Amino acid sequence: MPSPTFLEERRKAALEVFEREPLPTWRRSGFWTTSLRKLRLDELEPRRYDPVSSLDELNPVVSEALRDEELAGLIVQRGASTVYTQLDPAAAEQGVMVMSLEQAFEEHPDLVERWYMKRLSENEGKFPAASAAFWTGGAFVYVPRDVVVDKPIQVVWLIDEAGTAQYAHTLGIVEDGSKAYIREYNLAPDFEGQALHAGGFELYCRPSSNVKLAHLQDWGSGEVHDISTKRVEIAADAHCGWVPAVLGGHLTKQTLDIVTHERGSDMRQNGLYFTEGNEHLDIFTTDLHEAGDTTGDTVWKGALTGESRASYEGLIEIVFGAQNSHTYLQTHSMLLSPKAKADSIPSLIVKTDNVSASHGGTVGEVDEEQVFYMMTRGLHRLEAVRILVEGYFEEVIQKLEDDRLEEVVRERIAGKLTEAAEQVEDYIAQR
Amino acid sequence: MSLEIQNLHVRTEDREILHGVDLVVRKGETHALMGPNGSGKSTLANTIMGNPNYEVTEGKILLNGEDITEADPDERARAGVFMAFQYPATIPGVSVANFLRMAVNAKRPDDPIKVKEFGQLLRQNMDLLRIDPQFTSRYLNEGFSGGEKKRAEILQLAMLKPEFAVLDETDSGLDIDALKIVADGVNALRGPEMGGLIITHYTRILNYVRPDFVHIMIDGRIVREGGPELADHLEEQGYDWIREEVGAGA
Repeated sequence: MPSPTFLEERRKAALEVFEREPLPTWRRSGFWTTSLRKLRLDELEPRRYDPVSSLDELNPVVSEALRDEELAGLIVQRGASTVYTQLDPAAAEQGVMVMSLEQAFEEHPDLVERWYMKRLSENEGKFPAASAAFWTGGAFVYVPRDVVVDKPIQVVWLIDEAGTAQYAHTLGIVEDGSKAYIREYNLAPDFEGQALHAGGFELYCRPSSNVKLAHLQDWGSGEVHDISTKRVEIAADAHCGWVPAVLGGHLTKQTLDIVTHERGSDMRQNGLYFTEGNEHLDIFTTDLHEAGDTTGDTVWKGALTGESRASYEGLIEIVFGAQNSHTYLQTHSMLLSPKAKADSIPSLIVKTDNVSASHGGTVGEVDEEQVFYMMTRGLHRLEAVRILVEGYFEEVIQKLEDDRLEEVVRERIAGKLTEAAEQVEDYIAQR
Repeated sequence: MSLEIQNLHVRTEDREILHGVDLVVRKGETHALMGPNGSGKSTLANTIMGNPNYEVTEGKILLNGEDITEADPDERARAGVFMAFQYPATIPGVSVANFLRMAVNAKRPDDPIKVKEFGQLLRQNMDLLRIDPQFTSRYLNEGFSGGEKKRAEILQLAMLKPEFAVLDETDSGLDIDALKIVADGVNALRGPEMGGLIITHYTRILNYVRPDFVHIMIDGRIVREGGPELADHLEEQGYDWIREEVGAGA
């Protein structure tokens, strides 16, 4: 019999960490720092909203991203409140659950307590502690064993007012032998002023399950600070393919980890980012192999315009005894402005023998030879660059295998390139 | 209607490569520019196309009488000049079909080609060059064999129908079957509407695409000009006799 105060105790422990810890600064290799100096945390607060009966009542960024797609389930959180949930009757029949995490704690305490914060910890820092202490609403996704959920299961986190502090938690479980596609979008319209999204995301892919996961982050041009930890655990013989698309945020510090936890598990992570203006992006991924006979493949591609900065650090870690693990990590970034700065740091910690693990990284600029070639076919210089950048991302975008989301991502990238057009043109002409 | 090179001097960062080249290609004519490696043939091709790595220090390039020496490569392309590259760039993430459609539309920005019309045109030209239909969904030049790259270049030539086409060593790296296919394609595209400049080291392709005029370039200058018989002469005797003659005359 689980303790009735399970959640309260976890929140209390998290609150202690939050109050004890100072505002963090992430420093690395002497020259890269992610600092929250400018975040006025005291001026931000969780904002409550009433439920809506239709997506049309919400800021249009939501329906614009979802595009009338038929979904197996949908949960939308605005600020601190779950404002919309929907479950396809066929999915409900299968036993699929999509509801707020608060509701799940009430209705299915045994199930939720078994998994909640199994792979996340309040001890990871001030912001993981903040989201663990203060989350409200929350998202819970459950797929029972041996079902195939055809349509996507969608979670949306919306911030539409400056001054918002959004403490988020998503818990997903896909049981043995099931197949599902889970998408989580972080959306905000353009606004002036600060906001915070402090998020925890945990997904458990149970034995022999096959899970597709996509994240779309587009926080608009407001000063949204996104400090999130997303972690996926993959059980025996299960597969998870994860495509995080990080397309906009004033300051983003994300930790994205995949744990191949039991033998035969397989992970693919194909991430992309595009930073512009004065955005600051700091991504850390870990491909952690906790068992032998596991496989992994990580590819990240990014592009930068304006004075933006992006750092990608990717770690492959293979623990003692995880023999016969095979994994690969590669990271590429493309600079489209002289003032942008990119950093790619792949690294390896291998504590066992008989494994293959390797990595590669590039930071590059648009290849002048390619541009010349395309211009000889009549394409304007800027058009050539646009096509090259889109082509560069295409390898990752196609991994989504999701026509609508692919379209959204392509449009956003094209839009960002158009916005930066003059600057990109000057840059290339000067070289 | 002509592509005219007048007293062209071209240099790279290190040195002058072309030392005053004159050449006129009229519409409907096919010229061959031959010469040993390092003689400046590819430099001429790249300069005609406006490659920024080559600087024109003297002389002019005229297209139908208009000076295009300073024009950007895309302006030249839209004006009707084309080059088939010896080593075309790889364009990851962009399929052959998509690239071709963008290139076709670059010449007609206000009237983009209809999907059906484009499809028909593409099929027709792919039949001509005996290209597998699946080819067009591959990323341009990514993982292409040497022969596939050359065929992709000629496919672009066929789709874009330029007034003047420069083929830079299109025959190199092709086995005889591939060479015949490419030559058949080029022959099918020859006609009163196109002027061609075939740049080659070997006489091989000229057995299949007979030129109207042959020019021989050595050390950045055109040193001999004549009809197709000049190529036959080279086939038999190589370049040494010309070097000797030029050397003796100097």
